[in-house]
Amino acid sequence: MFRFKSILSRIVFLHVVAVVITSILMSLALSWLLSYATNNIHDKAMQEQAVSVGEHLRALPDGSLELKLPQDLLGLYSQPYGRYSYAVIDGKGRVLFSSLGDHAALFPADTGSSDVEFLQQRRGDATVSGASIKKTVGDQIVWIQAGEDLANRDVLIDDIVADFYRNVGWITLPILLVLLIADIAIFRRALRPLRQASEIASKIGPTRTDLRLPTEEIPQEVRSLVSAVNRALDRLEEGFRIQRDFTADAAHELRTPLSILRTRLDLLKDEKMSEALRQDVDGMAHIISQLLDIAELDSFVIDPSEKADLRSVAAEVAEFVAPLALAQGKDVALLGVDQPVWVKGSPEMLNRAIRNLAENAINHTAPGTTVEFVVEDNGTVSVADHGPGVADEEKNLIFQRFWRRDRRKPGSTGLGLSIVQRIAELHSATITLENRRPKGARFSLRFMPLRT
Amino acid sequence: MRLLVVEDNEQLAELLTKGLQTAGYEIDVLSTLEEASAVLRTTFYAGLILDLGLPDGDGLTLLRDLRHRNNPIPILVLTARGGLNDRVQGLRSGADDYLVKPFALEELLARLEAQLRRPGSLVGSSLRIANLEFDTQNRQASIDDQPQVLSARETAVLELLMRSKGRVVSKKQVEDHIFGHSGEVASNAIEVYVHRLRKQLSERGAKVQVHTIRGVGYLIAEEK
Repeated sequence: MFRFKSILSRIVFLHVVAVVITSILMSLALSWLLSYATNNIHDKAMQEQAVSVGEHLRALPDGSLELKLPQDLLGLYSQPYGRYSYAVIDGKGRVLFSSLGDHAALFPADTGSSDVEFLQQRRGDATVSGASIKKTVGDQIVWIQAGEDLANRDVLIDDIVADFYRNVGWITLPILLVLLIADIAIFRRALRPLRQASEIASKIGPTRTDLRLPTEEIPQEVRSLVSAVNRALDRLEEGFRIQRDFTADAAHELRTPLSILRTRLDLLKDEKMSEALRQDVDGMAHIISQLLDIAELDSFVIDPSEKADLRSVAAEVAEFVAPLALAQGKDVALLGVDQPVWVKGSPEMLNRAIRNLAENAINHTAPGTTVEFVVEDNGTVSVADHGPGVADEEKNLIFQRFWRRDRRKPGSTGLGLSIVQRIAELHSATITLENRRPKGARFSLRFMPLRT
Repeated sequence: MRLLVVEDNEQLAELLTKGLQTAGYEIDVLSTLEEASAVLRTTFYAGLILDLGLPDGDGLTLLRDLRHRNNPIPILVLTARGGLNDRVQGLRSGADDYLVKPFALEELLARLEAQLRRPGSLVGSSLRIANLEFDTQNRQASIDDQPQVLSARETAVLELLMRSKGRVVSKKQVEDHIFGHSGEVASNAIEVYVHRLRKQLSERGAKVQVHTIRGVGYLIAEEK
């Protein structure tokens, strides 16, 4: 079955159906009323004619009746005119007087009938409709019938009925259509607060849990739904907050024992053993930090007014990772422009992204080689290594959380590049990955440069 | 030199005390904000090591309170919270340095030394890498306990590198340190001094290496 997508289209459709049905019923009702009224007029006229014929009946001394119609009535009932007719019947059903040529009654004589009766009778190819009244003249009871041939009915009344649709009937449809248009406008206006609320609702997500739907202008019928949605959002926000707090608490709970372990190792006499264990602890601490970074990034809202100098962020990262690289017999170098390169974004986030690329590069570059940072004034920073490079079929996989080429290799969590990608997403930055010749990989991040 | 450690985890507090005592510091340990706040009003310490998550509140409150009272005590914050906002907030509230748990004891000692040697603090002692030693009080370098004569500029570069042991010193920092903010510096002047220092150290048998990180700066480390 066809389903309407919006309340408005549903209302409009049902309204159109209602308008069509109403306009049909209204016309039928009006025409029925009209014909009822015209019939009523006809019946009354016939009754009056019978009464006025009856007024000219007189009882003669010999007991018989005499009918002396004045000239105007005679003309009305004359045969050539043929429209109206009358008959007078006595108590035994005999026809005393009749305007008809064959001296017949208009309607079958029914001497038991009441004072006034409205009757209809086919005569030849014409239909006569009229009234029969009971009257006492002298000591006799007679029935006076008056009728009209419907084929020659009053032209005026027929005109009213015939003209009804042409003059009156057509006006109902446009009036109903105008009403329909007015109603659509009213509905749209009434639904406007709902549209505004849905615009706000579309902005709500894990990073914006503070928004609520406005209830002031919402129609009362929908307000309870909107309030219920708002209360649901309250509960969701609380859930998010609990989860964030849990992450922070978990970090605290994990990091303090790790600190204890780390310090114990630092105080250990057996240097060789302590060094090996220290590396394990550092690896674990690294995983915890990256998990926290991911958790924080999932709920991070970037300040659109923030800007960062890509060159100095890259320099900070290079300074930070240089000791790690040197300790592994590797080197780092910062190349490219010397001037500040301003881009839109959070310096701290950019730092994390570049740091993860750098740590990744240092892990993969061959000993004795240099990891190169290049900053370009179009807002691009790239980190290149002399490692094995990335196979084409792995180019998309490496950005997935926890993906690792070699799961046995220690020191890698598979989170670094997904952090980079998430930060790039937040900054509308593009990541490019290309292999270098003869070997190595180059990751580039292109941010939106700010023209100063 | 007496330091105050405010840390509610007994084990960690105990281990820190042990480590710091081995490094030659005297240590008092407290576990609540209230105690720490009271003790700091009456007792002078050379430095404060402050954990942020304490049973009776957030360490940042104490930090702000101290700075509000213009207490210049060097403060090193320890925290399990390494998030962006936590870090920024910590430094804005007046922490001098910030270490995220878990940290290496060596790192803590290095950061502490750097803080305690800030201008205005009362400390002077010697810095050492392998067989190279630098006495910050009389600015004297010695190799295998033999005092060495270096030029003023070379000494200045060496001092800066030694103070930043394990960290990269940017070229700009070296420039500022040697020439101050005034005066024009020839673009390769720093490289020349570093090159001379490197040559002097290796000729005199110091088992250290001065690395040049291209585009970034310099770093002194034990020779491998």
